[in-house]
Amino acid sequence: MNILLCCAAGMSTSLLVQKMEEAAREKGLDAKIWAVSADDVKNHIDQAAVLLLGPQVRYKLTEMKKEGASRGVPVDVISTVDYGTLNGKNVLEFALRLKQ
Amino acid sequence: MRMGGFVSFMENRMMPIAGKMAEQKHLQAIRDGIILTLPLLIIGSLFLIIGFIPIPGYDEFMSGVFGEKWRTKLLYPVGATFDIMGLIVSFGVAYRLAEKYKVDPLSAGAISVASFLLATPYKVMFTPEGASAAQEIGGVIPVTLMGSQGLFVAMILAILSTEIYRKIIQMKIVISMPPGVPPAVSRSFVALIPAGAVLVVVWLIRILLENTSFESIHNIVKDLLVGPLSVVGSSLIGAIICVLLIHILWAVGLHGAAIVGGIMSPIWLTLMDQNRAAFQASPNGELPNVVTTQFFDMWIYAGGSGATLALVVLMVFMARSKQMKNIGRLSLGPGLFNINEPVIFGMPIVMNPLLIIPFVFTPVILVIISYFAMSLGWVAKPSGVAVPWTTPLFFSGYLATGGKVSGMVLQAVNFLISLAIYYPFFRLWDKQKVSEEKAGTASDTAVTM
Repeated sequence: MNILLCCAAGMSTSLLVQKMEEAAREKGLDAKIWAVSADDVKNHIDQAAVLLLGPQVRYKLTEMKKEGASRGVPVDVISTVDYGTLNGKNVLEFALRLKQ
Repeated sequence: MRMGGFVSFMENRMMPIAGKMAEQKHLQAIRDGIILTLPLLIIGSLFLIIGFIPIPGYDEFMSGVFGEKWRTKLLYPVGATFDIMGLIVSFGVAYRLAEKYKVDPLSAGAISVASFLLATPYKVMFTPEGASAAQEIGGVIPVTLMGSQGLFVAMILAILSTEIYRKIIQMKIVISMPPGVPPAVSRSFVALIPAGAVLVVVWLIRILLENTSFESIHNIVKDLLVGPLSVVGSSLIGAIICVLLIHILWAVGLHGAAIVGGIMSPIWLTLMDQNRAAFQASPNGELPNVVTTQFFDMWIYAGGSGATLALVVLMVFMARSKQMKNIGRLSLGPGLFNINEPVIFGMPIVMNPLLIIPFVFTPVILVIISYFAMSLGWVAKPSGVAVPWTTPLFFSGYLATGGKVSGMVLQAVNFLISLAIYYPFFRLWDKQKVSEEKAGTASDTAVTM
């Protein structure tokens, strides 16, 4: 399961990546999770099963959904509460639900 | 509720505008193209810092060890980075724009560089030793126009040339090679007609302008665009409006800096380079601009947009509620490197009528204070050294002023001011959280770590 995250510079989402990796390990889930800047998404989306946006770049959702739709990659925005509290477990579950 | 009205106004009116602005192809290409210069500027800055370390006896020591010309030689990389900013942007913007149109970006970049040079007169004025008047020397590329002075010409021509290039490609007016020809070869033939068209257009523009009083594209852009924009961009009012806009966007949870930065960064970068040139010529002399890229990054956004480092420190050391303490601890590490999404979304500050007030007004007040402190000469102006925005407080103020302690002092003062502004709001919010936690209603929102 490959989960791609993006925000403006890929910095704050990379904090979340660490937490999500911990949560995945606890679940015994084999997941590749990584964060890039929103402009870099097009170079990474082909390897992703699901794409999550940081809430601060949610104005890019329409554009990203278009990118995702042509490749069958579901795209959505992370909830602000989970994002702010770096709740890796919730975001991981959100990603898994999206993929189903 | 008034807040509800504000939020729905932002959601319904501002969001689409912000989204459109941030998605606008040309603005995006400009922003992404400029990013190409940043690593170079930061490396150039390192050499600039080493060249002008303000320690008594440093000059004599360096001359003794490396010879009289040590500084000239040390500053070679500064020339190779700052002085070709326009050239790099010319390539970068065209490359990123072509990428968005899904046409060959490498060819677009090369064509853009050629048209940038085609628009530039290959001559400089030079005063030989012993002569009284400057002479015109031909057959040279003027370095001044390759740097920040050429930034806007580079951006405009990159967009113009890439638009012509992609239009012709999309209309399929290209030489196509028979199958069996290697793709690299056929790609260069595909670019032939569009490249020719671009260069002819730019060539005609240049010939036409040579017959006017402007003489070159560079002069037109300087008089009509860079001049007025720099006045707006370098003014206190301009800085306040930008900071207000950035923080109102953040207050509804949108990355304000990324949206506004697309428009303002070329201006702030040009102002920054003017300071760099002045600093290099005389490190203790007067620098022309206060408002530059570093002005915001180093003195206004301590801890990230909203100057939230002060708030995070309050949360870590003074919070009574579990939630505030936890989010504070979580935010302190990233906050020291000026990343603050955890506190913006975790407090939350976003859509929070109470905390939006200090979040928006602290940076505005810091802009006013820092602007006056620097223009009155109490604090050194940013020297044009390109310090990355993730550099921690105090280091950043020292480095960005080219090694002046006053830069750190102003950061300390600004930090204390932000503490004072955030304190009452923090107290109210913390109190509310404590009573929620006592009532047991906070279990949903409490942080699980």
